[in-house]
Amino acid sequence: MLYRVIDAAELPALVDAFMERYEVIAPVRSGRSFAFEAVGSFDDIVLDYPTTITSPKKYVLPPRETLFEFDAAANEVADFVEEVTPRVIFGVHACDINALNSLDLVFRDARYPDPYYAARRDATMVVGISCTPSEGCFCHLVDADEARTGYDLFLQDIGGRYLVSIGSVEAANILEGACNPREATDEDRIAFRHATRRRQASFNPDIPNIQEVPMLMDAFHSDPFWEELGGRCLSCTACSSVCPTCYCFDIRDTMDPDGVHGLRERTWDACTSPQFAVVAGGHNFRADGRNRVRHRMYHKLNGFMAAHDRNLCVGCGRCVYACKAGISPIEVLRFFERKGADDAD
Amino acid sequence: MPTSQTVPGVAVAPLRDEGAPLTGAELVRANPYRPWPARITSITDLTATEKLFEFRFVDERIREAFRHEPGQFVELSLFGVGEAPISISSSPSKSGFIELCVRRAGTFTERLHQMQCGDIVGIRGPYGRPFPFDDMRGHDILLVAGGLGIAPLRSLINNIHDERSDFGKVTIIYGSKSPAEVMFRSQFEMWRHRKDFDLYLTVDNPDDTWDGEVGLVTKPFEHLEVDPGRTFGAVCGPPVMYRFVVEEMRKKGISYDHIYMSFERHMKCGMGKCGHCQIGHQYCCIDGPVFNYWEAKNIQGSM
Repeated sequence: MLYRVIDAAELPALVDAFMERYEVIAPVRSGRSFAFEAVGSFDDIVLDYPTTITSPKKYVLPPRETLFEFDAAANEVADFVEEVTPRVIFGVHACDINALNSLDLVFRDARYPDPYYAARRDATMVVGISCTPSEGCFCHLVDADEARTGYDLFLQDIGGRYLVSIGSVEAANILEGACNPREATDEDRIAFRHATRRRQASFNPDIPNIQEVPMLMDAFHSDPFWEELGGRCLSCTACSSVCPTCYCFDIRDTMDPDGVHGLRERTWDACTSPQFAVVAGGHNFRADGRNRVRHRMYHKLNGFMAAHDRNLCVGCGRCVYACKAGISPIEVLRFFERKGADDAD
Repeated sequence: MPTSQTVPGVAVAPLRDEGAPLTGAELVRANPYRPWPARITSITDLTATEKLFEFRFVDERIREAFRHEPGQFVELSLFGVGEAPISISSSPSKSGFIELCVRRAGTFTERLHQMQCGDIVGIRGPYGRPFPFDDMRGHDILLVAGGLGIAPLRSLINNIHDERSDFGKVTIIYGSKSPAEVMFRSQFEMWRHRKDFDLYLTVDNPDDTWDGEVGLVTKPFEHLEVDPGRTFGAVCGPPVMYRFVVEEMRKKGISYDHIYMSFERHMKCGMGKCGHCQIGHQYCCIDGPVFNYWEAKNIQGSM
C-alpha cells in the first residue's frame, strides 16, 4: 500500500475537499456517546471517539429501503430507480472497515450480486482512522484489528501528523489537491511503530484470548452454557441493530391507503427475533432463546468462517454495551476460558 | 468508487424496453429481486387444504430463460400480500409451465387459494441446489415422502418417469395422516399398475376403504429389498421424519452421500442473503434445500 504523511493541521482542508463533492459522514458527539452522522464542518467531527452506538452499516444497508413499487390491481411492477447519494464515511475504525468487507462478501457475491447494496457501496468512499481500544474492544482476538483492504484512505495518528495509507486513485487525487503529502521519514516510521505498540498494549486484558474458537464452538454445541446464555435473551434485537455485520433482512409489502399501489421493502431483521425461523404452518426452527442466541454466536464465530474463511464478529464491542442481558461474544470467550480450568486445579 | 456527483441509482429491469430488446436472462439479471408476471393456467384441488397451481410466465423471454431442475423452488409474489418460497412440483420436461403444490396455511396461501385461472401473480427463480439428477441416472431410487413433502419430490418423481429407462428399480414410500390427505394418488397408482414404480402408501389413520399400509412412513422398510451399492435415497417431509427415515436407509446400507434430503425453511430472498433459512452455517436457499446426509450431519441443527 502506498503511504504518505500529512500534518494534523491539514485535516480540515482534506475534509473540506471531500465536502465539495460528497456528503461527509463522520463520528460526532451524540448525547453521552458518539454517532456517525452527516457533518457540515470539520469542527463537528470527533476524531478520537472510542466507538459509536451504531455502525456505518446503515449507509450501505439502510434499516428500511424500497426494492420496487407495484400496482396490486394490475399486478405490475413499476419501473423504479432509486438515486444514491455519493458519500465519504470519514473516521472509520479498522473493525468497521473489516465489517464492510464482510458485508461485501455477502452482497457482492458472484452469483447474486445485490444491485441496491452495490450502488450504495460504489458511491461510498471510506476514510479510516486509527483508534485506541476501549473497554469492550476485542478486534485483535478476531483478526479485525487491522484494515488491510476496503478503504480509500487510512489515517494513522502518529502524534501531530498522520501516516496516510492510500487505497484509491480518487482518494489520492483529493489528498494531493487538498494537502501536501510528503514521504515518510525514519522518524515517522518509528512514531508509527510506537503508536501500534501503544495500541497493542491497551486492549482490555480481561477479555480472554482463545485459540481455535470455531472448532470449540462445534465441540461445545450442546453445552448447558447455551441454555444459560440464551435463557437471558430478551429478544430485543439491539445486538443486531448495533452490530456492524448483522445483515439479515425481511422482505415485505407495504400498501398505500388507496389499496392499489404499494412498495416492496426490505427492513433489517434479526435472528434473535422469536419469529425469525418460523415457516408456513407455524413450525419454529429456533423456538427458544438458547437456539437463537447460539445460532447468532455461531454465525459470528463459526459459520461465516466456514463459508468465507473469516470471522463475522469484528470485536467492535457495540453489542457488549447494547445488550441489557449481558450477552456478547465476550461471554462466549469467557465460557471457553472457564471450561476445563476447574479440572486443572 | 465514485468519479462524479451523479451516481446511477438502482433500477428494476423495465418490462418494456426501448431500443435493443433484452433477453430473458438479461432481464432477470438486471434486478434479481424483481418478480415476473405469471398467469395461473390451471388449478386442481388435491385435498381439502392443498391445491396444485399451474403457472405460465406472461413474457415469452422470461419463459424461455426459466429452466429449473428437480428440487428447486421459486419465490411467489402476491402484490400487497408478500412473497413466499414454494418448491416446484413439476418436471423440468414440462417446459413453459411451472406447477406449485400449495397448502392453505396462512394469510399468503389463503389468498392464493382464492385466486382463479387467468389471475396474475409474480414469480422469480428458480433457486436452490437441486437433486443430483444426472448422478442418480443408472441407479435404483428410493423416494420417501411425508405429507406435503411429496411436493418437491414430485418434481423428481415426474422427471424420473419422463426418463424412466435411465433408472433401475424406483420405489416410492409416501406417508400421510389419512387417506383423504394422499395427493396425486391416481397418478401414482397408475404408474404402479404399469409397473413403472414400486409404491407404498401409508397412513396413520385409515378409513374403511383404505387398502394401503397403516403406520409410520418407516414401516415399509421392514420388507423392503435394497441394493445399497446402487441406490440413491431422496427424502422430504415434516422435520421430525428425517432422522427416522435416514436411519432406516443407513440400516439398508445406503451410503451417507447417496441419501438426499430436501429441507424446509423460510427462504425469503432465495439468494443467500436475508438469513431466514440458515441452518447452522449453511443457507438452505443456495447451499440447499437439497443436502445429502453427510452434509446434513455436518450442519449443526439440521435434523
